[in-house]
Amino acid sequence: MLDYVLGILPNMIEGLGVSAQIFIIVYVLSLPCGILLSLVRLSRLGLFRRIAEFYIYIMRGTPLMLQILFIYYGLPMIPGIEIQIDDFSAAILAFVANYAAYFAEIFRGGIQSISRGQYEGAKVLGFTYRQTMWHIVLPQVIKRVIPPLGNETITLLKDTSLVYVLAMNDLMRVTRSIVQRDFDTTAFIVAALFYLVCTFVLTRALGWLEKRYAVYED
Amino acid sequence: MAFITMQNIRKSFGNQEILHGVSLSVEKGEVVSIIGPSGAGKSTFLRCLNNLETIQGGSIWVEGDCLVKEENGKVVYARDSEARKILGKMGMVFQSFNLFPHMTVMDNLLAAPIYVKKMKREDVLPTAERLLKKVGLWEKRDVYPGSLSGGQKQRVAIARALTMNPEIMLFDEPTSALDPELTGEVLKTIHQLADEKMTMIIVTHEMAFARSVSDKVLFMVDGHIEEEGTSEEIFGHPKSERTQAFLKSILR
Ligand SMILES: Nc1ncnc2c1ncn2[C@@H]1O[C@H](COP(=O)(O)OP(=O)(O)OP(=O)(O)O)[C@@H](O)[C@H]1O
Ligand SMILES: [Mg+2]
Repeated sequence: MLDYVLGILPNMIEGLGVSAQIFIIVYVLSLPCGILLSLVRLSRLGLFRRIAEFYIYIMRGTPLMLQILFIYYGLPMIPGIEIQIDDFSAAILAFVANYAAYFAEIFRGGIQSISRGQYEGAKVLGFTYRQTMWHIVLPQVIKRVIPPLGNETITLLKDTSLVYVLAMNDLMRVTRSIVQRDFDTTAFIVAALFYLVCTFVLTRALGWLEKRYAVYED
Repeated sequence: MAFITMQNIRKSFGNQEILHGVSLSVEKGEVVSIIGPSGAGKSTFLRCLNNLETIQGGSIWVEGDCLVKEENGKVVYARDSEARKILGKMGMVFQSFNLFPHMTVMDNLLAAPIYVKKMKREDVLPTAERLLKKVGLWEKRDVYPGSLSGGQKQRVAIARALTMNPEIMLFDEPTSALDPELTGEVLKTIHQLADEKMTMIIVTHEMAFARSVSDKVLFMVDGHIEEEGTSEEIFGHPKSERTQAFLKSILR
């Protein structure tokens, strides 16, 4: 049993590496995209706001799986676009597009929860809109969005398993092929443990962040 | 020309006119109080002066510079850079403090000089230190506003406004959100500013305070100035019946 686990471990760790890579890249890219998107979504530029609203609606209203398949298989077939990107880039693109929309909604809620008094307090001190957002609003938003962002982060970790549809060797796909090859479900349990350890670490990290921001009350 | 001249200010929210041509002039070093019943438009009038509200008619001049005026029946505001220069001369204190909760007391004072005036932290520190001591909160410099009492918060807000060296301070009911036992410390701080000849416009419901601190008092009701005069004239010998009735009701 132990020997068997040790035998499949290298492959599985490699799979975990692919999953982790996707997770980290998507996270790092979709957070700033989400912030920008939320600012557009809240801006007074009517047309841009509408577009952002519509975009977020589409991204949250359709399955991520569909979006991944569409970007990988669908884009090359659209006349005029016809771009074929490799599976890894397609996965990253789809995930970032999707998660940016979710993050944007979280940030929007956070930004809207900051009272008008904060903007006015900054304005009468001479802050420009940009300075107000950067120094006054966003730092407070961060504290408020940590809990919902945390939930989304853990969902993202688990969602990375969706890339198996693109035949990428992530943890999920490696696990499945091991199970099919060996007619042994041990790999499922090992995979579950991998995911659990990762979510545990993430939860801890988020808890630490929350604590750090707990130094002040709203 | 007076230091502040507001002429014939008209302000509407939607199609409801709230200010029906209100005028005010304030000389350098003068303390003006605006009193009146709730909903009279006192806050709105004050907020028009520092551009928190845009007006639909009238003009505003500060030290001879025009913030907004009427040209051929249309309201024209100064260019952004010009407006910034004018608004930079005013400090404002709100009823709800509006301190920045994510910054310590000290950082609340330092924020505007550093981010807006691009000053170096060490260059602002002495001023901030002096002001915190002045409002009696030096020992609170490293705590967050959330742990202060209302009176302390408001004193920090006053010190914060003063770090930008305003030439006039605007107060919108600075003590209305405070427990009665905490208003005294804030009023004392404002009194101290008056003694130092700070120019001020104060919207307040504290009649005894308004009476003692003001050079000039405006009684505002239903979006217009019902009566205007020295502290003694308004509180001692009010002419208008509405003023008399208001003072009677509030001093009872
Ligand atoms: N943003 C707004 N939108 C619509 N109406 C407003 C707005 N702000 C104020 N008003 C209305 O304008 C009128 C004057 O309000 P304002 O706050 O200036 O009165 P006030 O004299 O300061 O009263 P109080 O003593 O209660 O503070 C009120 O009828 C109020 O409902
Ligand atoms: Mg008011």
